[in-house]
Amino acid sequence: MHPPNGIQATSLVRTFGQVRAVGGISLEIPLGTVTGILGPNGSGKSTTLRMLCGLVRPDSGTANIAGVRLSGDGTAVRKVSTFAPGEIALYGEMRGGEHLAWLLRGRPPGALAKSRAITQKLGLPPDKKVHAYSHGMKRQLLFAAAMGPDVPVRILDEPTEGLDPAKRQEVLDLIASDADEGRLILLSSHHLSEVQAVCGRLIFFHAGKIIADESPADLATRARRTVRIGYETPAEAKLACAAMEREFGTDERLILSLAVNALEVSTTLAIDDPRTFLAAFGALEAPRPRMLAIGSLSLTDLYRTVYGVSGL
Amino acid sequence: MKLTRSVRNSIFMGIGYLFALELMLVAAVLFWPNFAENTGALKILASPIPVLKDMFSQLEAKGVSAYVLSQHFFKGCNVLGCAAAALIGSAAIAGEAHRGTLEIFLLRPISRRRLLLERWLLGAVQIALPVFLTTLTVPLLLARVDEVMDFGPLMLCAVHQSLFLVALYAIVFLLSTMGRAPLPIAFGALVFVIFNFSIYMVKTVTHWSLFRLADMETFLDIYESGALPVTFTAIFVVVISGCIWASLAIFERRVP
Repeated sequence: MHPPNGIQATSLVRTFGQVRAVGGISLEIPLGTVTGILGPNGSGKSTTLRMLCGLVRPDSGTANIAGVRLSGDGTAVRKVSTFAPGEIALYGEMRGGEHLAWLLRGRPPGALAKSRAITQKLGLPPDKKVHAYSHGMKRQLLFAAAMGPDVPVRILDEPTEGLDPAKRQEVLDLIASDADEGRLILLSSHHLSEVQAVCGRLIFFHAGKIIADESPADLATRARRTVRIGYETPAEAKLACAAMEREFGTDERLILSLAVNALEVSTTLAIDDPRTFLAAFGALEAPRPRMLAIGSLSLTDLYRTVYGVSGL
Repeated sequence: MKLTRSVRNSIFMGIGYLFALELMLVAAVLFWPNFAENTGALKILASPIPVLKDMFSQLEAKGVSAYVLSQHFFKGCNVLGCAAAALIGSAAIAGEAHRGTLEIFLLRPISRRRLLLERWLLGAVQIALPVFLTTLTVPLLLARVDEVMDFGPLMLCAVHQSLFLVALYAIVFLLSTMGRAPLPIAFGALVFVIFNFSIYMVKTVTHWSLFRLADMETFLDIYESGALPVTFTAIFVVVISGCIWASLAIFERRVP
């Protein structure tokens, strides 16, 4: 059964020349949820989001946004959704307030008032020319424009990129409260921790495909079982990884995966309690580590150790 | 309504073009008495270039009307209008792409058809309006040198001139819809215009020049017959509508 007012996409494909940016993405997202799309650069996140708001036409596949079929130039879809682009290019000669009004041309009048309230809350100066805005301020202006209209779907491409921690939290809070009003928020990010905090669902992209679709609870379990061990040099890290592979590589009761990345060795334990592993690791003949972290999982670790993606 | 820099620049360019055109017209009309006295001598000077010699023969025979039509339309409007068409047309869409603002230009819930037609129309008005406005002042300026011209046929010449310039603008606009950098488009268009102007002066190839569609002979025909040339007008209309259609088709699918 299709969600009548959420996002439903089937086999979306988009190719740019010889490059297949998106290779058959299918999604079904209900209203009232915040969903995060994660992935490294070039994984197809932004192209997928641009396709969902009608800015880029899919080569094949179909999509329905808030009950509106994606077709033509996507104007109908953009009437029921908003989009905050990831790439920031604004008209620097306009003042913040004027630019906001320009971005909201074609929207009902109430949208501008709400967006203005958001810019006020975020502390953006409406009378200052946009060229004098910092990168983060420009990002917030686009975010405010996307949050103003009363539409059921909001698509936000890296809404917190370039923001300081306090502003990042404010933006995430606004997203969470907006979803509480029954809207669907689809956002992309490079930061696992921040999307974990606000998203009820995480979709992982790689090479234009979805490689995992998980809940933050699943990820928390993975994080608990992740051990990162740091070394002084890459050679030491490689030696240690080789030793661990030799000693524990075949013991699936102890570790599930093992990967080395420059100065770090990452491993996913098979059990929640790390003590058994730590005891075995202590007895190992390997270079002495400079750092050992348990329970923290970065997006890169996740891709390398869990999804087995190389070359990140 | 707040205008973006590209729109504002293009309006300023249009205003500049209007003033330059009027200035050239004023100078040309006020110079008419001197010119009339020396037409014979000028014809002798131009005799090594047959195309120019023919032009001076026409000027000698038809008097002030040929002079004004050649000065205002063939020289002024063609030179400045073609430059304006190249600069305004090239920046229309490629300018947004070059600045990286094409994405925000497209992400509002306004159809691409409407966005494109609004932008196209704005440029077309900026190119055609100065032709009409300056032509309106011709009778007033001629009164200063005790000459007269029929207003109706003069405005028909302005219509023809505008169609010629808008056709060129439509071609440049189409290239702008496809491109990402306005400068090479403008440069290419200007080179094309200069090339056509230069071959106009060469007798053996003058018939290949684009400016055969809007030269003194054409404007004299319009002025004397009081009607637009059907073939030329049809060519302009076909080029303009064809380019708009192609621009719309390309813009509908354009990736920001």
